[in-house]
Amino acid sequence: MGYRKVAVVGAGMTKFVRRSLETGKELSFEASHMALESCQLTLDQIQSVVFGSAPDAFDGVHMKGEYISDGAGAFRKPYMRSYVGGGTGVFTPIQGWWHVASGMFDTCLVVCEEKMSPCQPHPQGAFLTIFDHTTERPLGPNLLWIFALEMNRYMHRHGITEQDIAQVAVKNKKNALDHPCAQIGREVSIDDVMNSEVLAWPVKRLDISPVSDGACAIVLASEEVAKRITDKPVWFEGVGWNLETAYWTNRDLYYPKQVEYAARMAYEMAGIREPRKEINIVEPYDPFDYKELHHLEGLLLCDKGKAPELTRSGVTARNGDMPVCPSGGLLGVGNPIAAAGLMKICELFWQLRGEAGKRQVPGSPRRGLAQAWGDLMQVGTVVVLGR
Amino acid sequence: MGILEKVADNRETKAWYGDIPVQHLYTAGVAGERFLSEIRDNGKILGTLCEKCNFVYVPPMIYCERCFARLTEWVPVSHKGVVESFTVGYIDMDGKPLPEPRVMAVINLDGATSSLVHFLEEIEPDDITFGMEVEAVFRPKGERKGSILDISHFRPVG
Ligand SMILES: [Zn+2]
Repeated sequence: MGYRKVAVVGAGMTKFVRRSLETGKELSFEASHMALESCQLTLDQIQSVVFGSAPDAFDGVHMKGEYISDGAGAFRKPYMRSYVGGGTGVFTPIQGWWHVASGMFDTCLVVCEEKMSPCQPHPQGAFLTIFDHTTERPLGPNLLWIFALEMNRYMHRHGITEQDIAQVAVKNKKNALDHPCAQIGREVSIDDVMNSEVLAWPVKRLDISPVSDGACAIVLASEEVAKRITDKPVWFEGVGWNLETAYWTNRDLYYPKQVEYAARMAYEMAGIREPRKEINIVEPYDPFDYKELHHLEGLLLCDKGKAPELTRSGVTARNGDMPVCPSGGLLGVGNPIAAAGLMKICELFWQLRGEAGKRQVPGSPRRGLAQAWGDLMQVGTVVVLGR
Repeated sequence: MGILEKVADNRETKAWYGDIPVQHLYTAGVAGERFLSEIRDNGKILGTLCEKCNFVYVPPMIYCERCFARLTEWVPVSHKGVVESFTVGYIDMDGKPLPEPRVMAVINLDGATSSLVHFLEEIEPDDITFGMEVEAVFRPKGERKGSILDISHFRPVG
């Protein structure tokens, strides 16, 4: 197709925490520094930098991309910030990919940061203004409403229960116990999830990911350069992104069509005809437990309404046939929005290289997929990596 | 009535007030915390040195933006420095006249490579010159809060 091959050659991340002393610049530096050290590159070998972060209103710093740039290693370099809401963490590496795939640059540092703790009394105050100011804001909506309406529609359409969905929270929070950067890895039971505080029925406290601060970074290189840097490059095989209507009430909430379109784009580029057989490990976006199921279906990795069965039968467990969120996901590792998406790419990098430590899935996976979702609930972003 | 019909009187366009209802809690960061604590507790202004780039950052950073080294060498810099540029402000953020004009200056402290922006007082604006020597005036110890305003302002030396 005229693209150059692009590899991920290094990765780094900070711990995800409820409130960091580090500024956004310092968080970005720690992740970037670790990513460069992991592949023994220095900043002067980086030709371009791409940075991802969600709304400025979270950090309370306008022009956040420009403010943080030096912490992301962008001093006197070609630099761009990208932002597609919650989808940012998987979109930013796509932007890095085309920097290198196009032939413009041989190396690109991709950094995603989020510091959500500054936003008081809660980031919901910022989310309020993503709703239509004429027809929706007068109702005083909370972002949880959308999730609750979507979750309920999904449950109703397929006859799925709250307990079915709670299995995902149980699995991911447990997986996160093995992640050294995780914020809330823990053992919980389905009953614990069911008995946790109802926030907007059917969404309960333990169905959702926490508010977090953190940063992640990866280093991208062209084929020739990658082969000089490492004997274990992890290749971009496919990328996809797609946008649904901005009016979330104009579509049926039971199914994320935009995720399907993004996945089809990535599969076509990767030459994948049977994703259920050809994708070995999946990191779908899981800010809420039902979203993992919703997204597995949108990614065509199971039939509509059947994702809960995969979870119940252990297919998506870390040692199952198709491990899903072996990292622990947003539900367990934490949700510094843009950084959380890039954490999924980092996880694929470590898993495909056999460097995931206690989280390593068995069977030397050859190919993995990461996906995120966001904007006005309407974007799907997908990356397929392989070795 | 929309824009294509030419709204002659903007009072005919109905509008209402709203806001983005958030406030923010800021952290000083690893470098900022030490920088401000030293000013508050010891009246000292610290920078960080990148030996490779021969650059002393004030305010300090935990990394060198030029070579990306982690900076661990903290160096005290002088309370004195020189004026690199200045302006005299006559209006506030809302465009209203300030009770007194206020001078903001870019000050390069002796021993620092980068510069600090702060108030310059105890001098008539007409008497300010480029390169003139100025010094930091600290608030009394009991009044310091761990803020950049623990340095109340700069003034001419002597
Ligand atoms: Zn340096």
